[in-house]
Amino acid sequence: MKIYYTPILAAVLLGACSLAARADETPIIIQKPTSYVMPISVSGFEGEAESVLKFDLSVLGMEVTPPDKAAYLVSGSQNGRVQGSLTPAGSDHPLWARAYAGGSARSQAHAFANDIVKEIRGTAPIFQTRIAFRAQQGRTTEIAVSDFDGYNPAVLTHDGTLVSGPCWIPGGRGLLYTSWKNGGEEILEHNLGTGERRVFANHPGANLSPEVSPDGQKVAMILSRNGSPNLWVCNFDGGGLKQLTRTRDEDSCPTWSPDSREICFVCRSGRAELQKVSVAGGPARAVRMAGVYGNVTSPDWSPDGKWLAFTSGSGSFTIWVGPAGGGDAQKLVAGEDPCWAPNSRTIVFSRRVNNKRILCLLDVPTKRVKDVRQISGSCSEPSWAR
Amino acid sequence: MKNKNLIGMFLLSAALAAGVTGCKHKTPMTTPIPDNGGRPTAASSAQPGPGLGESAPMQPPINTQPIALDTGSYSNLFNNNPNENREQFKADTIYFDFDSSTIKASEESKLQEVANYFKNNSKFEGLIIEGNCDERGTEKYNLSLGERRALAAREYLANLGVDAHRLKTVTYGASRPVESGHDESAWKKNRRDDFVLATPK
Repeated sequence: MKIYYTPILAAVLLGACSLAARADETPIIIQKPTSYVMPISVSGFEGEAESVLKFDLSVLGMEVTPPDKAAYLVSGSQNGRVQGSLTPAGSDHPLWARAYAGGSARSQAHAFANDIVKEIRGTAPIFQTRIAFRAQQGRTTEIAVSDFDGYNPAVLTHDGTLVSGPCWIPGGRGLLYTSWKNGGEEILEHNLGTGERRVFANHPGANLSPEVSPDGQKVAMILSRNGSPNLWVCNFDGGGLKQLTRTRDEDSCPTWSPDSREICFVCRSGRAELQKVSVAGGPARAVRMAGVYGNVTSPDWSPDGKWLAFTSGSGSFTIWVGPAGGGDAQKLVAGEDPCWAPNSRTIVFSRRVNNKRILCLLDVPTKRVKDVRQISGSCSEPSWAR
Repeated sequence: MKNKNLIGMFLLSAALAAGVTGCKHKTPMTTPIPDNGGRPTAASSAQPGPGLGESAPMQPPINTQPIALDTGSYSNLFNNNPNENREQFKADTIYFDFDSSTIKASEESKLQEVANYFKNNSKFEGLIIEGNCDERGTEKYNLSLGERRALAAREYLANLGVDAHRLKTVTYGASRPVESGHDESAWKKNRRDDFVLATPK
């Protein structure tokens, strides 16, 4: 088998690789290259299947090239169904060949791309997941959902007023979001199976930014019922309401740790900074991100627990990723409101273009950005179902 | 249309983990795809992100107390969508500095006017205080900042003797600008509290 030296070296240099071989053992490098742009060729497909394959692979930091420049060759056909194989460059034999039946050519191609990415990048599949977001038309906003790539969009609300901050209930059975349809803010639960809505929270004052814990047991939110917009948590059934912060200035933007035991949020005391607090209570502690300037807002904790993606700046926004415990953060691209995919590698975010906002996908290790298919109007506040 | 689609989209899930190995020369194994493309349910087995450093030391906890103000209840006059009069206090809109919820000295006389109205008029009226921001913050951050601005006016009016139960706060973040421009001349008009007189129907 041909070994691809350059990517492995690059991975080592970037620290994305853990070589734990002991001195008395022959080091065996079984490392999937993650952090460089992978040249890959795609042949034998046309139309929607081809465009889906090329889009999906580029979302994971691959570049479609002619076969003679590719590290992997994807080839196949779509006679009635998508089938194809994945072959390392220089090999006479494919790693595997698979066929996909049922659904549409689009969904078959997504499934094929999932298998390719799992082989090459080693990451969890994301090409059949969904996102929710806020869609603006004029002065009104509504909640919408779509495939991760913006296809198959559906606007869920038709209230003709304001909504904000859609958040998935784990498992994808529904959403929580803030609605102004009854005057002040209230948090609604929207069942995606039945279309039914119910009021989840309507305390006096602000009811903002709901976030369901990854275990589905609790909901973090910003309430101002005690005089300041502070972080509160309650059980998913609405009971067990508890105030976690008591700052004079406002708190915002909660995000859960994957073990559902901590919440990272934004506290403005002088300027906005990230803090963490235990759901069990106790003091909040600053999460310092070195090298970041300006206000730090809209954190999102990666599903693997290692990273916080966040936004810095005021007006001109930048997406960053830093260690979940704080430390040296890495500046990525212009944009705001990052949200991790289930693979802890891809981020969906929004950026402002010509006075509207569009949704984009970022491959964190390679910093490559792909715009999702846009619906009309302005789209922001994306949330990835996971 | 939305319900039908969504039922399909969200209830079905794909079993995509094909156990295909060592099939170099065999007929390709077929992976079934549900009609809607399905959704995987597997949790992440993710690769690490970019190589980044270790944690920084933590700061001491922050113990600043909010000013005690009973926000836990509003007067009943806010029930059942009261009539909203936006003209009464149109000239009393107060403005804020960037990223600040501090009441500026230049705005205090407007708050005094609003307070005087409530001292001299019917107890069957209430005030809706709407906090707003310019566009230079992320949306959730602006929503909290807008609420803090509304609460700052509420506290100020309560300190002037207005019954806090007659003061209701709403935040619109950056969603209700009065100026659509993208420079300071627009932003400074959008960082504001509007005051709306509420009368029961």
